[in-house]
This record gives sequence, structure tokens and C-alpha cells, in this order.
Amino acid sequence: MTIVIGFEGSANKIGVGIIKDGEVLSNPRRTYITPPGQGFMPSDTARHHRAVILTILKEALDEAGLKPQDIDCVAYTKGPGMGAPLVTVALVARTVAQLWDKPLLGVNHCIGHIEMGRLITKAHNPTVLYVSGGNTQVIAYSERRYRIFGETIDIAVGNCLDRFARVIKISNDPSPGYNIEQMAKKGTQYVELPYTVKGMDVSFSGILSYIEETLFSMLVEITERAMAHCGSQEVLIVGGVGCNLRLQEMMGVMCEERGAKLFSTDERFCIDNGAMIAQAGWEMFRSGQVTELEDSWITQRFRTDEVEVTWRA
Amino acid sequence: MATTEQQHELSGNHATGKLGFSLDVPFPSSREALIALRSLSPDKEPRKGGISKEITVKDNTLSVRWSADEARILRVSVNSFMDHLLLVLETMEMFSLPVSQ
Repeated sequence: MTIVIGFEGSANKIGVGIIKDGEVLSNPRRTYITPPGQGFMPSDTARHHRAVILTILKEALDEAGLKPQDIDCVAYTKGPGMGAPLVTVALVARTVAQLWDKPLLGVNHCIGHIEMGRLITKAHNPTVLYVSGGNTQVIAYSERRYRIFGETIDIAVGNCLDRFARVIKISNDPSPGYNIEQMAKKGTQYVELPYTVKGMDVSFSGILSYIEETLFSMLVEITERAMAHCGSQEVLIVGGVGCNLRLQEMMGVMCEERGAKLFSTDERFCIDNGAMIAQAGWEMFRSGQVTELEDSWITQRFRTDEVEVTWRA
Repeated sequence: MATTEQQHELSGNHATGKLGFSLDVPFPSSREALIALRSLSPDKEPRKGGISKEITVKDNTLSVRWSADEARILRVSVNSFMDHLLLVLETMEMFSLPVSQ
């Protein structure tokens, strides 16, 4: 039996989650929401996380009915993400790991999303579309690496959606993307906009005033291309933008045409959360990885394929 | 918990033109001082040039020595460090394991 606690706070969500052998025991989370028309800045975000992290940590333990002694390993987000918020969270993780005398594990945020998606959906070896405010990548597992098949050549698709929401002052509560989705459901007029796919990659900065259809079609195309290359019959969508039902619907159509299966998780797990870091930490810890304190520095850049995936064949 | 009597001095080093700042934080035990050290030292200064700091522990005391080119840069680094130190202290206060008899 292995119980891992995970800390996540690389963007505007701060979460602490506890996993016991594939079971999510607790996963409390808070979101730093800015007024309409404003994005979130690193120092304000760090201040928000700082104010609530210890409360959420206590909540996580209480909800799981556990004491610190019951924890086997402390996982935290090493990167990628915003510097100041990453440091705030890492400080608490390092401190409790030492107070409780438990090993520490620095986790790649993107891999946290992937491992949570695999755990919840039980997809076997899917082509992964990772779409969020900070990241847009098409990923396939091969020989101990999560290989980046295609990605945005400029901004993440979620960043594009968030900036669009800012321009027209859509509310950021609960998230700008969610509010765009609700408004888009009532849309009747389709406006043709630049569609930019370059082979395996996509570009979003040219289309800030757009409709979901165009962005999501681009993502479906590059996912399909990666599936064709890998001979894959499964798609897993992870990341905050993965909550979007229209994206899931469009991906579902493509999958059905190919006889492939589509997997996705709900907002508890698509959106950044602590348990996903705990899950990736659980895999890493069980396959013998540990992060020494001197090596536990956070990093704003941390590519998904830099990690040796020792827990998969 | 830890009483943070902080002694600090701002000095100008005319030979090199650099500003120096030192901070000493006493802890109830050397174990806690070392925990704080190992939590606070791994991350690099966000700003690449113009500032450096060294964190050490002797007995129960955590000491930090800064060297900076400009007062403004020094202030940012010291402020940031104080926020981080306070977070570590609060974490220790809330989540230390009870001492077994």
C-alpha cells in the first residue's frame, strides 16, 4: 500500500490531493479568479496560493482521514509553470517532507495530467491531447518517454481562449473558457477564420477573435495525424480545455470514423489539481524515483519528454 | 515556535561598490534550522545578475548573506526571502509532528 500526497500550484489553481493505490482520498482545490478583462500575474497568484495552501493541506488530510505519519511520499510540481507560484508550493512540500521524514518527488505538471487521465479512464496506451491555458501538445508514449508529436508553435489554445475572453470582458468565474463554451452553445452564425495547421503543429496567435469550431478542428486534425503515425486506436484528452464538451464531441466524431475510442475526465481532474501530482508521484515513487532536496528547485520550463518514464514498459 | 529576532544590517562596501545585507534567524533547535535551510536553498534567484545570497546554518541559527549591485534589487530579494521564510515557519508551526515522550 502506497499513499502519496501531491501539491499543485503552477498557474491560478492551488490544490493538494492524496492518492492511495489508485484511489483518490481527497482533492481540495481553490482558484484565483481575477475581475473580467484581467489575466492573473505571477506575484498576485503566488500571494493567493500562499494565503490558502496550509488550509487546503489540512483539508486534504482531514477529508482523507489521515495523519501525516500515514503518508509515504510527498509529491509536488517541479514545473513547468509560473515561477513565484511554483516556489510557494515547493516550499511547503519540501518543509513537510522533512518534518514528516518522507521522500520528496518533483513531478512534471504535464505528466501529472497524463497519469491522472490514464488512472481515471483506464485507457491503455492512448494518443494524448494535452490542452490547457499554458500548454498544447499531442503526446504519444514510446520507449520510456512521453514523446511530443506536435504542439503549438506560439501560444496554448487555452491562452488564446482566455485572451479572447479578456478582450470582450467575459467573466473569469469559474473560468473564462467555461463561459465561452456556454455562450458558444447559443451561437448560430459561423464565421470563417484563419485555420493554421503546419504538419504536426498548430499556431493560435493569429486568431484571437474566433469561434471554438476553428481551434478545435485544428486540434482534432493534429491528433488524428499522430494517431495515424502511431497506429493508435485510443485518444485521451487532458488539461483544462479538455473539459470543453464541444471539443470532446468533435474528437468523438473523428474517433468514431476511425473506429477508435475517446477518453476524457471531468472537471475534477482535467483542471489542475493536487491528486494528479500525487498520482504521477505514486508511479514515479513505486518505480524507484526520488528527488533529493538539493535538486528540488522549481523550473518554469520543463518539457514533457525530459522525464524518463521508468514506470511504463 | 521559532521566535524570529532578526538582526540585520545594511552596509556599503566601498571597495567593490556592492551592497551587503545580513539576516540571522534563531530556531528552537538545529534540526529546525536545517529544515528551513534545505527548504529555502534549492530555488535559484529569479533575477540572473546583480544579486547573490548565501544561506548557512550554525548550531540553531540560520544566516543569510546578500550581495547586490543596487538597493532596489536587494530589496526585492530580501522581501521575497522574508515571505518565503514566514511561509516555512508557519508550515512548521502547523504541521510539525508532536514530540514523542
